[in-house]
Amino acid sequence: MKHTTWIAAATLGLTVALSGCSAEEPKRAPAEVEGPAPLTKAERSTLDAAVADYEGWVKGELDELVTKTAAFTAAVKAGDDDAARQVYPVARTHWERVETIAAEFGDLDPAIDAREAGLSKGEPWTGWHRLEKDLWPARADDYTRLDMGERIKLADKLLADTKTINEQSNDLKLTATDIVEGSQALLEEVAGGKVTGEEEYWSRTDLWDFQANLDGAVKGFEEIEDVVEGRDAALASKIDRQFADVQKLLDAQRDGAGFVTYDRLTKDEIKAMSTAVDALGESLAELSKVIG
Amino acid sequence: METKSTISRRALLGAGATVAGAAVFAAGRETSPASASRPGAYPLYGEHQPGIVTPVQNNLHFSAFDLRTSSRAEVISLLQKWTEAAERMMAGQPAGETGAIDGHPNLPPDDTGEALDLSTSNLTITFGFGPGFFTKKLGIAGQRPEALEPLPRFPLDQLVAADSGGDICVQACADDPQVAVHAIRNLTRIGFGTVAARWSQLGYGRSSSTTRSQVTPRNLMGFKDGTNNIRADDTELLDEHVWVGSDDGTAWLAGGSYLITRRANITVELWDRQKLRDQEAFIGRTKGEGGPLSGGKEFDKVQLSARRDGALAIPEDAHIRVVSPEKHRGARMLRRGYNFTNGNSDIGHLDAGLFFIGFVRDPRTNFIPVQLAMVRDDGLMEYIRFTSSAIFAAPPGISRGEYVGQSIFEA
Repeated sequence: MKHTTWIAAATLGLTVALSGCSAEEPKRAPAEVEGPAPLTKAERSTLDAAVADYEGWVKGELDELVTKTAAFTAAVKAGDDDAARQVYPVARTHWERVETIAAEFGDLDPAIDAREAGLSKGEPWTGWHRLEKDLWPARADDYTRLDMGERIKLADKLLADTKTINEQSNDLKLTATDIVEGSQALLEEVAGGKVTGEEEYWSRTDLWDFQANLDGAVKGFEEIEDVVEGRDAALASKIDRQFADVQKLLDAQRDGAGFVTYDRLTKDEIKAMSTAVDALGESLAELSKVIG
Repeated sequence: METKSTISRRALLGAGATVAGAAVFAAGRETSPASASRPGAYPLYGEHQPGIVTPVQNNLHFSAFDLRTSSRAEVISLLQKWTEAAERMMAGQPAGETGAIDGHPNLPPDDTGEALDLSTSNLTITFGFGPGFFTKKLGIAGQRPEALEPLPRFPLDQLVAADSGGDICVQACADDPQVAVHAIRNLTRIGFGTVAARWSQLGYGRSSSTTRSQVTPRNLMGFKDGTNNIRADDTELLDEHVWVGSDDGTAWLAGGSYLITRRANITVELWDRQKLRDQEAFIGRTKGEGGPLSGGKEFDKVQLSARRDGALAIPEDAHIRVVSPEKHRGARMLRRGYNFTNGNSDIGHLDAGLFFIGFVRDPRTNFIPVQLAMVRDDGLMEYIRFTSSAIFAAPPGISRGEYVGQSIFEA
C-alpha cells in the first residue's frame, strides 16, 4: 500500500520544489473538456495565504514528530517497552497527518514507514513498524526479539531519518493543488490501510493513524474551503458533512486519550467506517474540478 | 402467432415512443436475429421495467443496497442519476457524460472503463425497493405496499443476515459478465454517500427462460429448469400472476411486480452420488429430455395423478408436484434465476447453487405458500439450504424524462 500510494502521489504531480520532481501536466483531454476556471485575483490571494499557512502547519507537525520520535527512540533504547508502546501511536500521529506530503521528500519513506508485508525477500526492514513488531510480538509466529544492539541501531536510524525529513521540509514549496491532492491521498491512506487494519498489524493502533490521516485531510480542506465554497457551495457543504460523518464514527471508538484497538471493532463498525470514507473520498475527488 | 398478437396489443396500448422491452425484442428478433456482430440493446423506458420478461441473458450481477441517508432530496437525486446512468449503459454508453477516457485529466473518470470495447450485451438494469425503503423520514411510509413485508423465516432457512434483505436492489443482466459487473460497479459508485452496498451475487448460466425460443437451460443439479415458466408472450398469465394490477391496493406499483430473491446453496457433492433414477424422482422429470415422469416430452402436460406400477408416477415429494400450480390454487411466478459458484467452502466442497429470482403479483399468494410447501414437503430439500433471502417492490416502467421509482414519490 505504501508503495502504491507513493507512486500514486507522484503521478498526481505533487510539485514539491526539492528534488526537481515536479511533473508536466499531461494534456490529453480534448479541448471541449473544461478544467476549473482560472483563479480570480481575490481567490489567488486567499489561496496564497492558505498555502503559506498549510506549509507552516506541515513544518510544525514535522517538528513535533521529531520531538516525539526522540521520546519513542529513547524509551526503546532504555528498554522501557511500556513507555515506548505508549508514545508509539502518539508520535506516529504527527507522521500520519502529513505523510502524503512528507513521503515526497527524497526516498526516506520506506526506511521510516515500510511494513513487513510490503518488503521483498531479503530487503532490509527498518523504521516504525520494525520496532512495532518487537514491542507487540503477540501475533508473530516463532518470533525472536531484537537484541539491544539491534534495537539501538534501528532507533538511531529512525530518529536520524526523521530529522533529515524535517530538515528537507525547510525548502517546502507547495501549491493549492498539492493541498487538494494531499487531502485526497490521505483519505486513500485511510481507505486502503487504516480501515482495513493493515497499517498497524502488530500494535492494532490503526484508529490513531486513521484519526491522524483525517486530521491532515480536514486541515487541507479547511485551508481551501472558502474558495471551494465560492465556486461550488453544495460540494463544500457535502464535504463538511461527510468529514463530520467519519469523525462521528471515530469518536464512538475513543478510549481514554486514544482509541480502542482495531481488533475490538465489529464487522459492522468497520463497514460503517469504510462506507463513510468511500463517500467522502468520492467527494474529495471532485475537488479537482474546482481547484485544478 | 402469439408473438404477433403481443406486438399489436402493446402497440394498441399506445405506449408511443416508449415501447415495452419485450415487444421491441420480439419485433427485432423477427427481422434481425441476434448475432455477435449486432448485439442487442434494450431501452430503459417502457410500460414495464426491462429485465423481467426480457429474454434471460446469460449472466447476472445482483446487488442490494442499504440507505445511508434520510434525506428525501438526496434519494430522489440518486434515483435521477441512476436513471440517467442506466439509460446510458443499456445503450452501450459510459455511465457518466464524459466517460472513461474523455474527461478532464485532473479528475477521476466518470466511468470505470472495463466495458469499453465490449458490446451492449443485451444489458438490462432493473430496480426494486425493499420494505425498509418506505420510511417516514423520506415521506413515503404510507406508500409501502401491504404485501411488501420482509419474507418470513422458513423452516430450514440458514440465512446469513449480511447477505439478506436491503433497502434497494439493482439487477443487472447481460450476456457478457463484465458488462453486468460494470453496471453494478458504476451504479454503486454513483451511490456512495447515499446508499452502501449490502450484498451482491454473481450468477451465470441462466437457470430459466422467459421466451419460447430459448432452450430450457439446466441448473447445477443437471436438470432443465423452468420448463413451465411464464413466458414473455403469455400476456394473460403475466397480468394474472406477475404484474401488479391497478386495483391491487398500491396504485404506484401498478405495472410493476414483487421481486423475490432466495439463494439456494446446493450440496452438489451429495447430489452427484444419487442414482439417476432417484435424481429423476426427486425432480419429477427425466434428466435428459426433461419430460414429466407421468410420460411425454418436456412441454407435455404434467399428469400429477398418473400412476405407474401402482404408485404415483410423479412421487409425493417430487419437486414439480410440491410446487405445481395445481397444488397452490393456480399460483404461478415468473422465474429468472441463475446458477452461482462462489469458489469452495471451508470443507472443500463447491460453494454453489441456484440464485432464485422470482417476480410475482402478490408474494402472499404466489410465493410464500409455494416456498413453505417446498421447504416442508420437497425431497430436494435434502440437498438445498437457503442462505439468503430478500424481497423488493419493482416499480413499473418509466417514460423518458421520468426517474425510476418516481411513482413512489409522487403518489
